[in-house]
Amino acid sequence: MDRVVSDDLAIILTAVLLGTACGLLGPFLILKRQVLLSDAVAHAVLPGIVLVFLLFGSRAPLAVIVGAGVFAVICVLGVELIRNTGLVHADAAIGLVFPVLFALGVIGVTEFAEGVHLDLDSTIYGEIAFTPFRTWEFFGLELARSLPLLGTVTLVNLVLLILFWKELKVTTFDPSFAKVNGISPTLVSRLLLIAVAVTAVTAFESVGAILVVTMLIVPAATSYLLTVRLLPMVVVSVLVAWVAAVGGYGSAVSLDASIGGAMGMVAAFCFLLALLFAPKYGFITRTIVRTRRRSLTAGPPPSVPEPAGRRSA
Amino acid sequence: MDWLINLLPFSYTDSVVFIGAVILGVAAGVLGAFAVLRQRSLVGDALSHATLPGVCVAFIATGAKDASTLAVGAAVAGFIGAAMILAIERTGRIRPDAAIGVVLTSFFSLGIVLLTFLANFNNANQAGLDRYLFGQAAGLLESDLVAMGSLCAVSLLLVALAFRPLKTALFDMSFAGSVGLPVRLIELAMTAMLVIAIVIGVRTVGAILMVAMLVVPTVTARQLTSRLSLLLVIAGIVGAMVGSTGALISASATLPTGPTIVIVGFCVALMAILLAPRRGVLWRSGKLLRDRRRALNEGVLIDLETALHAGAPPTTEELATLSGRPASQVKKGLRDLDRAGALRTEQGRIHLTESGAGMVHALLHQRSLWSAWLEYGWTLDIPDAREPDPRDLKSSLGDDLTNTLLQRAREGGWTAS
Repeated sequence: MDRVVSDDLAIILTAVLLGTACGLLGPFLILKRQVLLSDAVAHAVLPGIVLVFLLFGSRAPLAVIVGAGVFAVICVLGVELIRNTGLVHADAAIGLVFPVLFALGVIGVTEFAEGVHLDLDSTIYGEIAFTPFRTWEFFGLELARSLPLLGTVTLVNLVLLILFWKELKVTTFDPSFAKVNGISPTLVSRLLLIAVAVTAVTAFESVGAILVVTMLIVPAATSYLLTVRLLPMVVVSVLVAWVAAVGGYGSAVSLDASIGGAMGMVAAFCFLLALLFAPKYGFITRTIVRTRRRSLTAGPPPSVPEPAGRRSA
Repeated sequence: MDWLINLLPFSYTDSVVFIGAVILGVAAGVLGAFAVLRQRSLVGDALSHATLPGVCVAFIATGAKDASTLAVGAAVAGFIGAAMILAIERTGRIRPDAAIGVVLTSFFSLGIVLLTFLANFNNANQAGLDRYLFGQAAGLLESDLVAMGSLCAVSLLLVALAFRPLKTALFDMSFAGSVGLPVRLIELAMTAMLVIAIVIGVRTVGAILMVAMLVVPTVTARQLTSRLSLLLVIAGIVGAMVGSTGALISASATLPTGPTIVIVGFCVALMAILLAPRRGVLWRSGKLLRDRRRALNEGVLIDLETALHAGAPPTTEELATLSGRPASQVKKGLRDLDRAGALRTEQGRIHLTESGAGMVHALLHQRSLWSAWLEYGWTLDIPDAREPDPRDLKSSLGDDLTNTLLQRAREGGWTAS
């Protein structure tokens, strides 16, 4: 049987699709300060995966996605519930909920599912290198199954963003204004987190949790340093994710290192570059501007007074 | 350490795990408080993941796989990660949670790359390094306990010695800076303490579960006290109790140690959130119910007094019409009053008993005092700057002031002399 795409291309395409799906959602997480909730969700779904395996004895992608999705929702709602008591800060609420769900998953794995292709490494570290070998058949053609799965998720995220662009934008920047205008910030926020959870779950069935979390956080953070408007931020975030995907694969092959890890490293490198050299918010750029301004103010006073109303920024 | 292990009524391995869990609980409880109270709980998450590349580099550099070498590598990587979080935050644009997320994923990616790098050397000795972040309590040795214990003791001593500056910086960084405390140094010290707790813990319970060990004791202790000194002590005790209980349960039920400890800890924190005196969710809702009931009873009593003043003793229905409350509420109030011995019913008509009349009198007095306070309270020359307790004005104002207040209210005015 023929494979539709070569192994290399399948891996790169998987990573690019993942980067697109995550890059679309990441900016909203950064702006809503919910970055770490994505990390929490990525870990909290473990008991869902284990439970599906114990109940149905399967690792079929759809069953796993549903099981994990349920626990993602439990995690998000649990964090909200604890935070709403007003007794615990949001970060501590996250720190209470996701470790306990993860612990339940670990107990499930070690007690009941040991030695049956469900070890922690494969769910947490994941291995994008194996994606070409897990295939589905379509009309006699063999296709790495991560491609249709991630393709669907990417499409769904894109449609969500286009349909709810206005709602997402207004709830992100001004929740009270959104509420006054009849758009529920809680509802939109839940929708976003469910999209994140579904993306994460689908993705680490094929690429591992850590790469998903990286793709959600790092490209969006990089883009936040480079842009000041929402649409460019989303576009740049997707672009950075693509750079990480392609560059990561290239360097992983040449260094013979973990593909997911190398992608993460390339993303981190992009972030570092942006942190230092971004035109407006970069550390070095800012330092240069500051020293220039300082030398201006320290120098002799300008002989011609500046015209009123034109202030230098 | 031998005598301690012999003292415990468990097998050798279980005793070692038990002592390790207690040390970890105390260290994570006390040192974690400084992260949790600054709303930086998840820095612990990032730093425990950040130890992975450190462990790999330590292994590459020395070729040794003993706990102390790896712990030094882990600590160095943890410090670098912590410093990077602070640095990224300080550049201004990136907010703390994103900084934590970026450091977490970058260091972990680096760790994974280093792991595969090691695997390519085909060095049989590296096996098991990738398990470092999952934690293996059973792998603890007696020598580890000594190292963990002394690290823990040293850092607790430091906390005790530097308590005042730590406390000041914890609650108000800007104030601490303005009175000349070395704020940057203190911030670094707090992070360093967190790294120490993490290095102690990661090997035992693993990176993810370490987060819970840092958060649970402080969240629990915070529900029980509002004083930092007490909070640190309680957090240490809670940590030790959670660690020891978890270790015992896991030993008797042959469950993995780390997850069991975390689940025990979560239950403890949840109990504290629900039941804590004065703060807990259930406590507060119970108090709300009691307050509502008392307000209803007092209202019905006053209504009854008004009705008795106006005419014949009312029936229950008449009282309900008169007071404008739903009949069911009035019945509930009357039942409570009857139980308190305030009522006497004759042929369906309600009278006040001797003690009931006394209750009404006290209540009316209290209300008139309250309205006098609202109108003329500002004219009083109160020696104490604090607001008096509105539920018990009489005793918090004292007899003299109460009489003055009532007199001014009776005279219907007061002019400044």
